[in-house]
Amino acid sequence: MKTIKFLTLLAIFIGFSSCSNDDDDSVILEVESETVLNLFAPQEGGMDQMGNPIPVSGAFTKFDFSSGATTTSETEWDIAFRGTSIIINGGVSYGATDEPERNGNAAAYIANGTFAGVVSVNTSNLEQDSVNGYVLADWYTYTGPPNHLILPTAGKVIVVRTRDGKYAKLEILSYYKDAPEEISAEAAANDARYYTFDFAYQPNDGETTFE
Amino acid sequence: MKKKKHLKLSIFLVLIGLTFSHGQIKLKDTIIEQKLDEVIITATRTYRQLSSLPLPAQIVSQTELKQANRIRLNNILNEQTGLITVQNFIGGEGIQMQGLDSEYTLVLIDGVPLVGRSAGTLDISRVALGNIKQIEIVKGASSSLYGSEALGGVINIITENPTKKGFKGELNYNYGTFNTHDTNLNLDFKKEKYSIGAFVNRNSSDGYNLINAVDVNTIDPYTNYTFNTKLNYDPNQNTNLYVSGRYFTQDQDYVPTEEEAGRIKVNEWNAHAKLHHTYSDKWSSYFEFYATRYKAEDYLNTVADNSFLSASDYNEILIRPEIRATYNPNETTSFIGGIGLDYETLERTDFNIDPIFNSPYIYLQYDVDPTDKLNLILGARFDKHSEYESQFSPKAAFRYELNDKLALKGSVGYGFKAPDFRQLYFDFSGFAGYTILGYNTVTTRIPEMIANGEIESENDIVVPLSVFEGSLRPENSVGFNIGFSYNPVSEVKVELNVFRNDIQDLIDTQLIANKNNGSGVYSYYNVNRAFTQGLEVNTSWKPTSELKISGGYQLLFAKDKAAQDLFNNGEAFASVPGSPSFQLDENDYFGLFNRSRHMANIKVYYSFDKLNLSTNLRGTYRSKYGLFDTNSNTYLDKYDDFVEAYSIWNWAVNKTFYKNFEVGFGIDNIFDFTDIPESEFDVVFIGNIPGRIIYTKLNIQF
Repeated sequence: MKTIKFLTLLAIFIGFSSCSNDDDDSVILEVESETVLNLFAPQEGGMDQMGNPIPVSGAFTKFDFSSGATTTSETEWDIAFRGTSIIINGGVSYGATDEPERNGNAAAYIANGTFAGVVSVNTSNLEQDSVNGYVLADWYTYTGPPNHLILPTAGKVIVVRTRDGKYAKLEILSYYKDAPEEISAEAAANDARYYTFDFAYQPNDGETTFE
Repeated sequence: MKKKKHLKLSIFLVLIGLTFSHGQIKLKDTIIEQKLDEVIITATRTYRQLSSLPLPAQIVSQTELKQANRIRLNNILNEQTGLITVQNFIGGEGIQMQGLDSEYTLVLIDGVPLVGRSAGTLDISRVALGNIKQIEIVKGASSSLYGSEALGGVINIITENPTKKGFKGELNYNYGTFNTHDTNLNLDFKKEKYSIGAFVNRNSSDGYNLINAVDVNTIDPYTNYTFNTKLNYDPNQNTNLYVSGRYFTQDQDYVPTEEEAGRIKVNEWNAHAKLHHTYSDKWSSYFEFYATRYKAEDYLNTVADNSFLSASDYNEILIRPEIRATYNPNETTSFIGGIGLDYETLERTDFNIDPIFNSPYIYLQYDVDPTDKLNLILGARFDKHSEYESQFSPKAAFRYELNDKLALKGSVGYGFKAPDFRQLYFDFSGFAGYTILGYNTVTTRIPEMIANGEIESENDIVVPLSVFEGSLRPENSVGFNIGFSYNPVSEVKVELNVFRNDIQDLIDTQLIANKNNGSGVYSYYNVNRAFTQGLEVNTSWKPTSELKISGGYQLLFAKDKAAQDLFNNGEAFASVPGSPSFQLDENDYFGLFNRSRHMANIKVYYSFDKLNLSTNLRGTYRSKYGLFDTNSNTYLDKYDDFVEAYSIWNWAVNKTFYKNFEVGFGIDNIFDFTDIPESEFDVVFIGNIPGRIIYTKLNIQF
């Protein structure tokens, strides 16, 4: 309850402060916060039934922060998901099969902290995908046998500069459909690759805070 | 609820004991303590009275083993203060001492080591207790005498030698729950100048299944045999020749899943010869030769059509010649020194070579009583090694008698554990596409993997190859022990010991390069620092010759230092799947996995001498502990799932008829405690507590 009260107060306070800014010449837009449920990021390949690796393929599921939704646009995307791989629309290809063309100037890093605790962007940490790998490779923990779960590593917040120089932050909450607290054997086998995440988008150009 | 009941009952039982003995104690004043003090050899490699020792040590006597009807080493060690057997994920049971894993406790039989740590753990359930004289437990780093592995301490199993002239035999049979049969036969013959002893044990069980949901056993059915013969020859008063041979063989089903089935076979032999000669009051020497082999083989076939799936083998040999001498220039001073060589080889599936270790060593120990009240021990050992950094291991200890009742003791020592073969030479590619490389193989294998395209380029190397150009350092520790022993009256003994082990260069597996197939290459290197600290209290009270009550307690803090820093700096987080992360603070770090903060035991032994009947109740308690990280931060914090605290109560009764026949009955785990998995995918459960075990015993001496 206390948290909710506090958040309400905070929201009112933020609301008021943004209202007071309305007197300025430029229009300041509010930071948009949302939860995305069950973004499906399928892949083909990975491993055959004997456990032998085979190349991963299939289209990435692309996401656009400004609309807060997935997109099939070739250009209007910031971040994209396929299996456990997350790529950004900036930098150069790592060389994986079926990677979309990067035509934006996105960059990213993974901050250590809580979602609320990441209040601004440390722009010196921003990096782009490269031939050495993806910037956002290290977001999950693989539990190994017997459960073989992919769990988002606690305290990892993804900070993104979008393709067009805005900023966003994102915390992955689950890799399984409907973000269950107890992940059953069936869910682990059948309901993987469904991302649920919280994100906040700062729509004001060049603004590096999330408050 | 169930647990509370146990506690109440146990308190009740203890109270009965206490009240009862209060009545007796007044009568007892005139009885003179006649029991000779126990003698221990492990602590100093010389015969010492346990009570005069400056080191924390315990003895488990044959009487205790027999009265408690224990048949395997793991059963009895679990009942000792501060010791717990911990299950390895492939089934073996290793011992945890002072919060250190089983890799760091040296296990000896008659002073020479057992080998066969295929995944680090030495499975102590393979040691039969039917011919054991006593078990000696020395805590604290002891590498100054024993070299590698004696980082947390030493457990030495002393087997019985024939003591009486003539022929003597003993047959012991034990039958219990899970169709467990255990048969011992001891045959001894002794004459003036020689003695010969033979021991045979057969042990078998149907195993048990905690995971009722699936058709796979927690412990698969097994049968094993132990054979041991010993020869002592004393051509004259000053010379003793000792030869011993031991053979252990076990055959066990291996059914990891419903689709796969196979067998695991273990064959182990130990050959030990020792010539002891006393030259004068001052000098004596030992020439010792020891060889042992531990071999394990397993295979798996499919259940469907019995086609071959996989097989692996492990074959380790240790050969150790050693010469040592003792010198006692006067009654208050003694020296012992030795020089020897360890030669070890291993053939193993997934090794790219058959490695050979050569390690000559030398040690010296000085044991002196500068005054009547003070005893000092100074010792050191140097181990030279062909594959890793040579080690110098010093140790110092003191014991000071403040008065007849109270003595202080303390020690500080260095301990190390040599990297094992696996950490140096492994070359293993798993089903899921990952590769594990031993430290010494990295600098050749990684360039090969780049050349053949398994690794894309040098950019995929995460840990620079230069890290692997030196030698892997042994894991090492400095151990401190300080405490007192207090005997207010002869029937009461209180011992307290505070300990700390500061461990560094712990070897961990880390990602060192990314593979093309999306998986990784992992290797071993020195990264972690940790500590274990706590205190141990042991008390015993023997109000009458018929009653003995003892209790023990260990408080333990075992932590990884890097993890502790993270928590202290607010850089540790946790999350429940599906919910946002939250920050953890320094109070949230619980410590290393599989460590309980509190462990305690109580034992009440009572013998009705007139009835030739003895009975005992033994309880052990273990506070909650974690097995795995369950909230995605790799650390054990207070929001993780824990194994709940539990207590286990064992009861035994034995009665002797016509002097030579003994019948026993007992219940282990009276209240049928188990912690079974809630589902097939529940990993936080206790695999080595099968529930209530009811057994009977028959013992015949002839």
